[in-house]
Amino acid sequence: MAVCSAYTTQSLNSTCSISTPAKTHLGFHQKEVVFYRRSSKRGGSGSSSGPCVITCSAGDSQTVVIGLAADSGCGKSTFMRRLTSVFGGAAEPPKGGNPDSNTLISDMTTVICLDDYHSLDRTGRKEKGVTALDPRANDFDLMYEQVKAIKSGVAVDKPIYNHVTGLLDPPELIKPPKILVIEGLHPMFDERVRDLLDFSIYLDISNEVKFAWKIQRDMAERGHSLESIKASIEARKPDFDAYIDPQKKYADAVIEVLPTQLIPDDNEGKVLRVRLIMKEGVKHFSPVYLFDEGSTISWIPCGRKLTCSYPGIKFHYGPDTYFGNEVSILEMDGQFDRLDELIYVESHLSNISTKFYGEVTQQMLKHADFPGSNNGTGLFQTIVGLKIRDLYEQITSSKTAAPLEATKA
Amino acid sequence: MATLFTLNLVTPRAIASLPDSTKGSPIKVPYLNQPWKRILSPLESRRMQVRAAPDRLSEKVEQSIKEAQEACSDDPASGECVAAWDEVEELSAAASHARDRLKDNDPLENYCQDNPETDECKTYDN
Repeated sequence: MAVCSAYTTQSLNSTCSISTPAKTHLGFHQKEVVFYRRSSKRGGSGSSSGPCVITCSAGDSQTVVIGLAADSGCGKSTFMRRLTSVFGGAAEPPKGGNPDSNTLISDMTTVICLDDYHSLDRTGRKEKGVTALDPRANDFDLMYEQVKAIKSGVAVDKPIYNHVTGLLDPPELIKPPKILVIEGLHPMFDERVRDLLDFSIYLDISNEVKFAWKIQRDMAERGHSLESIKASIEARKPDFDAYIDPQKKYADAVIEVLPTQLIPDDNEGKVLRVRLIMKEGVKHFSPVYLFDEGSTISWIPCGRKLTCSYPGIKFHYGPDTYFGNEVSILEMDGQFDRLDELIYVESHLSNISTKFYGEVTQQMLKHADFPGSNNGTGLFQTIVGLKIRDLYEQITSSKTAAPLEATKA
Repeated sequence: MATLFTLNLVTPRAIASLPDSTKGSPIKVPYLNQPWKRILSPLESRRMQVRAAPDRLSEKVEQSIKEAQEACSDDPASGECVAAWDEVEELSAAASHARDRLKDNDPLENYCQDNPETDECKTYDN
């Protein structure tokens, strides 16, 4: 989106040639188009037509930056796919580039994996005895420089960390998109990067659920056994608790996944209790609520109007404090079995930033094969995706409003 | 004379490597109506590599688990042990992503992405 202001009132009815100086007196990011009248058949010096100057400034030179933090194997990729789908289009790796690139590009969004900012490759980390979770293995200065550059509309050459070989590959060019999502282990670790984020999300998975998910993911692999999966989680836990977990107090939204309370002594991890913890007072973000904002509600939708199968669905909403911040917590325990349960729940939630009735249900159905599509993880990820779309629209409309006022004056 | 000879050897290889460096589009598509018979373009040969990767990755995962178990047998709290298990986790994640990508590879979808105008791929939305 570009805002153009014309500085002369002369009509451009003759052929003009265009010269585009990249830098103007106004700064870097504006392209100035100068139209010159080639010849004026009218005799006389009366119509001295000087150049008519039209200045166009790219309104989206400020990219909206979203941060997503979670441990490995915790649903970031699923969340990314849901998020890009809310904006439309599928996110794909850059065409023609490194096939092992971690970057995903769609029309509106670009997703950057922060593993690309590892300063030590796999052998380097092995030598030093550090994990990827350790800040010593990551180059935060480069991360900050590049995210700042992309945010102000400058393309960067971002390194690629190849997960297959464990080496740092030659860089790829990243052009500034409308929405930049940085996902990884440390988006909110460095204070400077944190200040660049317009919105941040943390996926907090409890230990039991993490164990169950990793078993599901890794049991298909030949070498793995229950003991090896457990040992892997245990070994990474100290670094995780020291470096990754503290980021959750900075997040604007936390999706916390816990074992269900509806089934006593459940250790299968199929039914989940998911809490969406939303910080109050965040610019352009209004928390989702049930029935009455700011009150405490406990809601079981299953009853006369809606029949659910065991174990049913239970909702809870209320204000709370989280690491010293005022938050609102929306919680769902149980799972959806049928479409009408989902649409019934959606019709009772408020402030979900949908553009039409049933949008959440439609998005969930579109990706019914994704993990978590029948419980709170999918529901809250979809809702956060819609909230991000709303945030993006608010930010861009407030930006176009400002230059329009300037040209009117 | 020797250098001329080596130059002659080099150039055919250089020409042969050119198709690999062209991005995206296949060189020839003689079988428009029979896409299953088409010649493997560089893009597809890269996809074939992805298909092979999980086997390599699976072996890597297995190997890394063995290494981690060895490293931890001496001292479970040492940096080497922790780094080794972290490597296992990283490779397992990469293996699972590769498996997901394999699942997504529908040959008709892939063909239609590159050639949306062919009879099999035309959509009549409006």
